Amino acid sequence: MTALALRAPWLARAVQSRDFVPLVVLTFTALLVIAPLLMILLATLTPEGRAAWEAVTNSPLSRNLWWRPLGNTVVLGIGVTLGSVLLGGFLAWLVVLTDVPMRRFLAVMSILPFMTPSFASALAWSTLFRNERIGGQAGYFASNGMSIPDWLAWGIVPVMIVLIAQFYSLAYTLIAASLSSVSGDLVESAEMAGAKRGRILFGIVLPIVTPALISGGMLAFAGAVSNFAAPALLGAPVRMQTLSTRIYGMVQTGNIERGYVLALLLMMAAAALLYFSDRFVSGRRAFVTVTGKGTRTKRFALGVWRWPLFVLATAIGFATTIIPVIVLFASSMAPRPGVLFSNWTLHYWIGPAGSAIAEGQAGIFRNPQLIDGILTTIRLGLTVALCAMVVGLLIAYTIVRYKASPYTRILSQLSFVPLFIPSIAMAAAYIAMYGTSLGPIPALYGTFTLIVLAATANLMPYAVQSGRGVLSQISSDIEESARMTGASALRRMWEIIVPLAIRGIMAGGILVFIKIVRDLSLVVLLFSASTPLLSMIAFQYASLGFMQFANAITLLILVICLLASFLAYLLQNKVQKWKK
Amino acid sequence: MEEMMTAERPAVDTSEPALAIRNLHKRFDDVPAVTDVNISVPPGAFLVLVGPSGCGKSTLLRMLAGLEPPSDGEIAFGGKVVSNGRSGVIHNAASRDAGMVFQSYALWPHKTVEGNIDWPLKVAGWKREDRARRIDEVLAFLDISALRQRYPAEISGGQQQRVAIARTIAPQPRILLLDEPLSNLDAKLRVDMRSELIRIHRATNATSVYVTHDQVEAMTMATHVAVMRAGRVEQFGAPDELLLQPQTTFVATFLGTPAGNVIPVERAGDQLCHAGVPLAPAALAGGRSSAQLLYRAQDITIGRREGCPVMPASYTESSPIAGQSMVTCMVGDLRLTAMADGFFRAASGAPVEISFLRTPDIVFDDDGNRIAR
Repeated sequence: MTALALRAPWLARAVQSRDFVPLVVLTFTALLVIAPLLMILLATLTPEGRAAWEAVTNSPLSRNLWWRPLGNTVVLGIGVTLGSVLLGGFLAWLVVLTDVPMRRFLAVMSILPFMTPSFASALAWSTLFRNERIGGQAGYFASNGMSIPDWLAWGIVPVMIVLIAQFYSLAYTLIAASLSSVSGDLVESAEMAGAKRGRILFGIVLPIVTPALISGGMLAFAGAVSNFAAPALLGAPVRMQTLSTRIYGMVQTGNIERGYVLALLLMMAAAALLYFSDRFVSGRRAFVTVTGKGTRTKRFALGVWRWPLFVLATAIGFATTIIPVIVLFASSMAPRPGVLFSNWTLHYWIGPAGSAIAEGQAGIFRNPQLIDGILTTIRLGLTVALCAMVVGLLIAYTIVRYKASPYTRILSQLSFVPLFIPSIAMAAAYIAMYGTSLGPIPALYGTFTLIVLAATANLMPYAVQSGRGVLSQISSDIEESARMTGASALRRMWEIIVPLAIRGIMAGGILVFIKIVRDLSLVVLLFSASTPLLSMIAFQYASLGFMQFANAITLLILVICLLASFLAYLLQNKVQKWKK
Repeated sequence: MEEMMTAERPAVDTSEPALAIRNLHKRFDDVPAVTDVNISVPPGAFLVLVGPSGCGKSTLLRMLAGLEPPSDGEIAFGGKVVSNGRSGVIHNAASRDAGMVFQSYALWPHKTVEGNIDWPLKVAGWKREDRARRIDEVLAFLDISALRQRYPAEISGGQQQRVAIARTIAPQPRILLLDEPLSNLDAKLRVDMRSELIRIHRATNATSVYVTHDQVEAMTMATHVAVMRAGRVEQFGAPDELLLQPQTTFVATFLGTPAGNVIPVERAGDQLCHAGVPLAPAALAGGRSSAQLLYRAQDITIGRREGCPVMPASYTESSPIAGQSMVTCMVGDLRLTAMADGFFRAASGAPVEISFLRTPDIVFDDDGNRIAR
């Protein structure tokens, strides 16, 4: 620093400028997020690309390629949004604002569904409700003589139900957090003013939590339109295509440019809808509860409804968490889907090839790909968690510490862009960028590195958010007092910031780990034989109609996720022993 | 103990000022925060930067610490330029030999008391034995040896303050920067800590720069005071000099317990009058038609005194101080502080008469600058 300051004062000043760090980090983030989007756009401007635009938007094919999938996607998005906000909002209200019994139990039950990947619930649904329409083994109900109508077994209705069952818990988390910030004083002052209960709920409480309702709805919408597993397993077999499954189909059949065009259109459609919903409510987003302490919440008495509502809430929780897991488990042990709970066998797990059941297929642990798949999946989870948290912490640090720079604002918005890029479109963009060699970078298609890069960009918003939460708790004085000692930036980061932030970093890391380990929509395009991943193996089994194998592998994924959470929980109590 | 604190220090070059600030400016987005500051103090000085909040004193301190680059001008420690407008921060805090005590103490919560003191020494590359000895020394010096293994969250605010000071003085900085270090302590502890800080300052032989908005702290601790207002140094000098010879009405009304009264006057004939009452000869205003006169509280008393100008006023409040009463009263919109013998009290708003005991020797023009005589 000293030498630099004396030899090149202008450079020293530039480095010390409050814009320097934000600019460097912004450039890096743009490379991860914006560059692939530009590349996918460029790829559709070639002659083949222009032909693809023509085919998708303005040809006899466009109805099937674009309009119908778009219609399905939008209907699905809106349905899942409404369903999630209603269900999540109801549970949040019940848990936070009423005297329902066993609130903590209900709170945990309401968060759990977020842990189950959508393909687990989709597989469970299929195991129960599948009918004979597309052949193969029928599900539990149909095998037991019940007649399951097509609309309940396949298509948009089950997809919507499965997605709501996952995303309502996301809406719940946001709305419950917001509701518990509504202090009892606010409610009581409304009571003092003579307002009745309904009036208080709709006049005071609801307006305050509106931003949470909206962000919960937007996340559910973004998740629903970009989801791949549920429509691929429950819709695509009966030609109910969404944009995600269409993109996959196009890339799969070698129509890469059409896939790119659809990915771009999907991003635009998602961005436009989110933009308008945001504009629609933007005037109401600025509520900040002005309060000194006030985390005490006022609970309404439910009277005779206490127990009935408790039973209803418990039933919702059971149906969306416990039952799918039980079904998956039973199905992976039962010889036939019609008899889920007797004659259990371990064949689907460890059985040899050539036996009478499962058309002679061997159990999953006899599949040489599986062990490889477990290791690759865990390796991917750990690598992505590490990369995403390093990137997230770097971005979060810049956002928190360089508030004054105009580039920081751009950075903070840019870091949330991936949240609204459907994963499958992000994957397509990364193929467009790194599919062929690019200057000094070799072609990365089908490599582990490409999955890690795309996943890091895809999960960046979660990492940044958890990093910000942690860092905003560390005062700038703490860091400046370390700067005063003359310690280098790296040393300050490693010895002061990281130890203080480790708990939050680990929580963020575990979230990223779980999200990538159970991901299908991102890896489905990037996956190759050299990178076998559990979710892909399960998906392949399911596509071939071997539900039991798919279910068994899905259970494995769930176990890995649970173990990871548990391990993180144990570790968290080991570190930061100074925190009383 | 005092010997031990200074034993390892190399001799201080007294020919150069320990701290010299020249034409220093700081702008944030073209909004000036510090404007044209010039201050220079000898080694061992206790410089207090005092002023209301937002006056730029903390920004100035952060520039001294090397946490902010100046926009213009330069800062030199012991003759060595450490920051300037061209290169920004040339020497960081450690290489400019400065330590800082933060207002919030900024103790690292994941390190014990000992760990907090140890880390800066480790960063500075001290040997293990030297570090251990130095830690023992400063812990004993600040009387916190018993807290060694505790974490910051486990000790009281006053103890945290001591740890913060110990951590800062352990590497033996030549310049000690203190950012409102007493503002988070309760009133009693604050008074005790004032004398403790002076003891520490003397023992470490450092040059201290102390930021506060509390003029009492400035007056009791400083060898040099810079009164700041709106980014500028309003007046710089020894505390008694500032008290006796304020150069602006701002300084006159900011310093002193109680602060001085500034009374605007108009010339009428050969007298300067306020509210029609002649107070002083017109010659004091040097030919101006209006001016402002400085009266200290002890220059005004309650009740009529023979041969003194007398003015009607209305009583507001009074508080006993050292056997006398400090009385606040209003003359029109003007609030004045006067002294009365014994315990004086009246009904709120009651009419009283106030007498001006002396002809003022300090006169300001309408802009608040002192008129030279």
